[in-house]
Amino acid sequence: MLVPLTHLKGKKAIVREIHGGVTAKQRLSDMGLLPGTQIKVLGNAPFKGPIRLEVKHSELVVGWGLASKIFVEEIV
Amino acid sequence: MKFALAGNANVGKSAIFNELTGMHQHIGNWPGKTVEKAEGTFFFLDKDIDVIDLPGIYSFSTFSMEELISRNYLSEQRPDAIINVVDSTILERNLFLTLQLIELGFPMVMALNMYDEAKMKGMEIDYKKLSKELGIPVVPTVAIKRRGISKMATAAIRVATRHAKPKPIQYGKEIEERVSSIEKKLSGMDLAFPARWFAIKLLEGDQEVIRIVEKKKPSILKLVSKYSRELEKIHGEPANVVISSERYSIAARITSKVIKRSKYKETISDKLDKITTNKFAGYIIMFLAMGLTLFTIFYLGSWLSDWLVNLLSVIQEPLKNTIRDPFLFSLVWSTVDGLIAGVAIVLPYIIPFYIILSFVEDSGYLARVAFLTDSLMHKIGLHGKAFIPMVLGFGCNVPACLGCRIMERPREKFITAFLVTLVPCAARTVIILGLVAAFLGFQWAVALYIIDFIIILLIGKLLNKFMPGEPVGLIMEMPPYRLPSIKVALRSSWARVKEFIKIAFPLIIASSFVIEFLRQIGVLGEFSAVISPITVGWLGLPQAAGILLIFGILRKELVLVMLASVLGTTNFATALTQLQMFTLALVSMLYVPCIATIAALKREFGWKKALYIAVFEIVFAILVGGILMRVLAPLLA
Ligand SMILES: Nc1nc2c(ncn2[C@@H]2O[C@H](COP(=O)(O)OP(=O)(O)OP(=O)(O)O)[C@@H](O)[C@H]2O)c(=O)[nH]1
Ligand SMILES: [Mg+2]
Repeated sequence: MLVPLTHLKGKKAIVREIHGGVTAKQRLSDMGLLPGTQIKVLGNAPFKGPIRLEVKHSELVVGWGLASKIFVEEIV
Repeated sequence: MKFALAGNANVGKSAIFNELTGMHQHIGNWPGKTVEKAEGTFFFLDKDIDVIDLPGIYSFSTFSMEELISRNYLSEQRPDAIINVVDSTILERNLFLTLQLIELGFPMVMALNMYDEAKMKGMEIDYKKLSKELGIPVVPTVAIKRRGISKMATAAIRVATRHAKPKPIQYGKEIEERVSSIEKKLSGMDLAFPARWFAIKLLEGDQEVIRIVEKKKPSILKLVSKYSRELEKIHGEPANVVISSERYSIAARITSKVIKRSKYKETISDKLDKITTNKFAGYIIMFLAMGLTLFTIFYLGSWLSDWLVNLLSVIQEPLKNTIRDPFLFSLVWSTVDGLIAGVAIVLPYIIPFYIILSFVEDSGYLARVAFLTDSLMHKIGLHGKAFIPMVLGFGCNVPACLGCRIMERPREKFITAFLVTLVPCAARTVIILGLVAAFLGFQWAVALYIIDFIIILLIGKLLNKFMPGEPVGLIMEMPPYRLPSIKVALRSSWARVKEFIKIAFPLIIASSFVIEFLRQIGVLGEFSAVISPITVGWLGLPQAAGILLIFGILRKELVLVMLASVLGTTNFATALTQLQMFTLALVSMLYVPCIATIAALKREFGWKKALYIAVFEIVFAILVGGILMRVLAPLLA
C-alpha cells in the first residue's frame, strides 16, 4: 500500500511515486530520491517539521511539504 | 593552465582550493557556502596554474543559481582539467554528478576526499578499480591535512597536457539508441560541449539546451519530444527521471564493486544527533548554545577589554608631556584614542566571537539548526535553510547577505536578506555587550536580543504578507558532525579579523580625528543639533548622540568608539543614564547595519530594494526606540 512519506508508520520503505511538478521531481531526483530508492526514516522535527532520511548511506533532510508528495511502500 | 574544482556541496572543494592557493575561501561544515566562483593561482611543477573554486552542485539540471554559474563557467572559460572532488564516505551519491561531469568531455581527475573519514567508518575503497571503472585518475585526499594534494595536482597536470578526455559511461539500450540518433542530427553544429551531452540534455528536457538548439536547428526538437514520450511510455516516468534513475544505478553498480564496508557502527555523530535533533532536547540545546556563546563572549570580552583599556591608557601621560600645544595634542590624541578604542573595546569582543562562530560552523551544527527551525521559518514564508545565513549574520551581515543565495528563489532570497540585516552582527554585539551588558547587566543584553528576535519574526510575517508565496520545500544534505579542525577554525577567524582590521581601523581612526576636529573648531554641536529633535526630543538621548548615529552608518562599532571619544572616557556611566544606554544600543541594533551591508544588498537586489530596506530600518529603529524608551522608563529610571 502506498502512503505519503509523512504518514509512514515504520522506518524502512521504498519510494514508489512522486507527485508534483517537473521541477519538484527533478530536484528530488538530483538529491537521490526517485522511484525505486530505498529509504530509512531517522527522525523528524515537531510541528510538521522536516524528516531526516537515510538515503544511499547519507542523510537527507526533507521538508514536510515535499515529503507529503513522496509516496512510499513500507518494507516490513 | 586552468583547473576547475567541481563537485557536490560540502565535499571539501574550498578546503582543497585553500591548500593549493594559500587563500582563505570560506570553509565550514554545511552545504552551500561557496556561492560565487573564486579564482586563485599556484605554482607547481614549473607551471603557473589557475584554479577555480566552483559552488557545490548536485546535478546539471539548471535548477539553481550555483548550477548555472558552474555550467556557464565551464562552457565559457573551458578549463584544461576538471578536478572532481568527492566525499568518499558518500561515494555513491557523489558519483551521480561525476557521471555527468564526465559527459562534458573535459580531461578530468577525481579527488577522493575525506578519505580519513571513510577509513574511520570502516570503509575500504579500491580506488584503482574505481579509476578503471570511470576511466579517470582517482587520488585519495585528506584536504584539511594536505594529504594527497600534490599527487592530485600532478595527475591533473598530466591529463591536461595529454588532453585526455574520459570515455562517457554507457546507459541502457533504450536510452543509448535514442541518444546516438539525436547525436547524429547534432553533428556539425558548433556546440560548447560534446554533441552527446547535448543529446542527453535534450532528452532530459533541459530548458536552456532546448533554447540553444531551437535557435540553431529547431527541427531536431520534434524528434526529441517523440523520443522523450517513448521513454516515458516504457518506464512510466518522465525521461529526465528515467535518465537520472539510470545514472543512480550505474553509480550503485560501480560503488558495489569498489567499496567494502565493515558492519556499520554507530558513530559519535549519530549519538550526538539523537540528542541535538531530538524534539525537545534539540530546542533546549539550541537556546543554551546561543546563550552560552553570548555569555562566553561577554565575559571573555569585557575582561580582556578592561585589561587593555588600563594598559593602553598608560600612553596618555607621556604623550601629553611631549606635545605641548593643546590643540595639536587633542587632534593627535583623538586618533590615538580611536586606535585604542578599536583595540580595547572592539577587538576583545570580535576575536572570541569569530573563533566561536568558526568552530560552530565547522562542527556541522548549523545544518541541525536548519532542521530544527524549518517549521518556524515556514511561518514567515521561508524554510529552515534561511536560518543559516541568519546565524552567519551574527558574525557580519555582508557575507550573510551573499549567503542568502542558498535560498532557491528571489522572493525567499529577499526576505531572508532583509531579516539578516536585522540580526545583530559582531559590531552591534560590541555595542550591546560593551554598553548594555557591561553597565546594566547581562540580562538586559539578553532582553535586547529577545526584542530583536521578536522584531525579526514580526517583520518576517509582514514581509510574507506583502510578498505572499510558499517557499520551495526544504531539501538538504545533512553532513555528519565533524570535530572542527583547530587549524581551519583559527585560520578562518584570523582571515576574518584581518579583514575587519583592514576595513574598520582606518575608518575608526579617521572618524575619531574628524569628530575631534569638528569639536575643536566648535561645530560639533551644530551637527548633532540638526537631528536633536529626534535624538533628544523623541529618543531622550543626549544631544551628542546625533553624531554617533550618523557615524554609525559607516560602521556600527563606531557608535561605541565615538561615544568613548566624545565623552573622553570609556566609563560611559558618567555621562549616560541606564535608560539612555539601553535606547542607544537598541536604536543602533536596529537601524541599517552599515554602508558595506547596503552595498551588499545593492549587489544582490539592486539600488531600489537596498535603499528601501535602509530607509525602512532607519525609520523603524527610531520609532521602536522612542516607544520602548517610554515603556521601559519606569524600569530603568
Ligand atoms: N575529515 C575531513 N574533513 C574535511 C576534509 N576536507 C574538508 N573537510 C571538512 O569538510 C567541510 C567542508 O569543506 P569545504 O571545503 O567547505 O567544502 P566545499 O566543497 O567547498 O563546500 P561548499 O562550498 O558548501 O560546496 C569542512 O568542515 C572541512 O573542514 C577531509 O579530507 N577530511
Ligand atoms: Mg566551498
